[in-house]
Amino acid sequence: MTETITISDAKAIIENQIEELAKRNREPEWMTRIRYKALEAFEKAPLNDPVISEEELLRFIAKPEVEGIPENIESLDDLPPEMKALLDRLGISEVEQKYIAGLAVQTDTGVIYNQFLQEWAKKGLIVLPTEEAVRKYPDIVKEHFLKLFSVDESKLTAYHTAVWNGGIFLYVKEGLKVPFPLHLFFLIQESALAQAPHIIIIAEPNTEFHLIEGCTAPILVKHSLHLDMTEAYLHEGAKAQLTVLQNWPEYVHTRPMTRARDGKGARFINTTVGLGTGKSNVANPKYWVEENGYVELNGILLGQKDWFVDLGGEMYLRGKGAAGINASKSVIMDESTVITRGVIRAEAPKTKGHISCDALLLSDRATMETYPGLVSKVDDAELSHEAAIGKIRDEELFYLMSRGLDEEKATQLIVKGFLEPMLKDIPMEFLVEIRKIIELAVSGGM
Amino acid sequence: MLKVDNLHVNVDHKEILKGVDLEVNPGEFHVVMGPNGSGKSTLALTIAGHPKYKVKGGKIILDGEEVTGLGPHERVRRGIMLAFQHPPEVEGVKIIEFLQQVLVELKGLDPVEAYDLIVEKAREFWFKEEDLHRFVNVGFSGGERKRLELLQAALIEPKLLILDEPDSGVDVDSLSLISRKIEELHRKGIAILLITHYGRILQHIDRESITVHVMKDGRIVRTGGGELVDRIDREGFAGIFGEVGA
Repeated sequence: MTETITISDAKAIIENQIEELAKRNREPEWMTRIRYKALEAFEKAPLNDPVISEEELLRFIAKPEVEGIPENIESLDDLPPEMKALLDRLGISEVEQKYIAGLAVQTDTGVIYNQFLQEWAKKGLIVLPTEEAVRKYPDIVKEHFLKLFSVDESKLTAYHTAVWNGGIFLYVKEGLKVPFPLHLFFLIQESALAQAPHIIIIAEPNTEFHLIEGCTAPILVKHSLHLDMTEAYLHEGAKAQLTVLQNWPEYVHTRPMTRARDGKGARFINTTVGLGTGKSNVANPKYWVEENGYVELNGILLGQKDWFVDLGGEMYLRGKGAAGINASKSVIMDESTVITRGVIRAEAPKTKGHISCDALLLSDRATMETYPGLVSKVDDAELSHEAAIGKIRDEELFYLMSRGLDEEKATQLIVKGFLEPMLKDIPMEFLVEIRKIIELAVSGGM
Repeated sequence: MLKVDNLHVNVDHKEILKGVDLEVNPGEFHVVMGPNGSGKSTLALTIAGHPKYKVKGGKIILDGEEVTGLGPHERVRRGIMLAFQHPPEVEGVKIIEFLQQVLVELKGLDPVEAYDLIVEKAREFWFKEEDLHRFVNVGFSGGERKRLELLQAALIEPKLLILDEPDSGVDVDSLSLISRKIEELHRKGIAILLITHYGRILQHIDRESITVHVMKDGRIVRTGGGELVDRIDREGFAGIFGEVGA
């Protein structure tokens, strides 16, 4: 049916793409060298993926786009009527067309800013496409590009590094506190390349900001594999929040790679809202936490259909008094599988870590697995974990129904109540959208 | 209005109701009494449509239409509401949001109207606005739970309100409020089917106007007037059971 692609075929394709990207981006040589180094690593690196086989990966490299997805989507008006109808039901068109303060929309290689952001640029808030940052701030990028990953960790890391394109560079100058959330959407259209945005976040000491990344619209993606990489550097006393909203179409495999260095007394809250996690979503974010630093990884996961979600999360509590929380709430439906496996490593005195995993199973065919890992190298760390996997109790459902709600509405209300404590920092516009997506998912209306 | 006709009900394959007949007309006040395990709660839950209670024979008819096969939400929409003996905790669901949705769906109110109405009514049942932002029944005392049931009845205004032991697990002050509120709902024309062990809950009710059914072992063995309540309070069930040979 499909012809076999060999590793050397794939390497030749990647090499061509590197050349293309170097030319398109007018890239300095040091960056192109990083790409080539990754290409070399690609062959020997282990695959390390529970879902995608090597054969599939090679096929994807040869042909990243999915057939049957409409061409030339420039605005929401170009969508097929059924997709548009879905978006209208979700109220998404409104949200995404409305240019909320701080909204930066990323298209192929450009960031569309609004005036508000331009004002803030003067104060020291830099938001640029990563490609442009490479040219404009080479020293800063060099110092922070691929410092939290190594190319040969896995074939996916190597492949991402070789062909990364798109992504955002966010730099917040010392002491700057950004009072509004920064919204970032990916609207990448160029389909011959893999979707592999590279995001660099640098928070200077004592800064504060909230970056909301992601696309709640289940469209605008032509690929069957999405490989984004985020490197966040939080310096002393910085307070940063990174919220990632995912609503991928069901044919996409997503492999978000996030890592952060959390400096002295810095605070990092990383929330993933996985409403549409795609065909499979495997993530193992890592955080290195220094003295009195604090990291929170919150996962909200909605498993549907036959999707496979595997959320890890490793925290290295390296400095005295460092603390970390890994908390997830999952709603698991149909025949989907959700696995959570957080690990917290206490490596310094007086560190604290807690892992919690709550899951609501809405189907007998759905599967939930949780593997909390606590590792202590010191004798005065406080590490704990708790897990609760359950179903909606008949008594609750009957009670709500006995007041007039049908089974679907009653279930939606319980699911919403289960998830919402974790959605506390999400702006209202998104919360409204998220609620609708959850309602549609629970009622099987997607 | 409500007609229960030769109702046989199984729970977990065990027959609990063994042929119950009962008729409640608009605005009437009926009391069901009987020892533990006689089938009172089963009767209430079956009329409300609990899926665990399997009707093996007989019919439940409301306003001439059979409702035996309908889901609980459809029954309350037709006017039968059950106030629970043990209202369950529903973690994560806020009272106000739940009741708003109920009023939007049942009464066609818009959410803002519903909000105002709920907050206003809630005061009569000793709930402050901030109490309504708590989760449904979570951490509630017995009295709070029963008052919340009555609040819901006052908002929904069913044709027939079934009250399953509204007096159990309740403090003295709440009991007096609940008793008054039942009387108030009844005065508005709502028919009442009240399950209880004791007469005290009827302190505000005119004994002349009530019908009392006494249940034993899955059947109604005696039906009479308000005087039965006082007699049961005085002598227990033994005397009545002796008379009817049950």
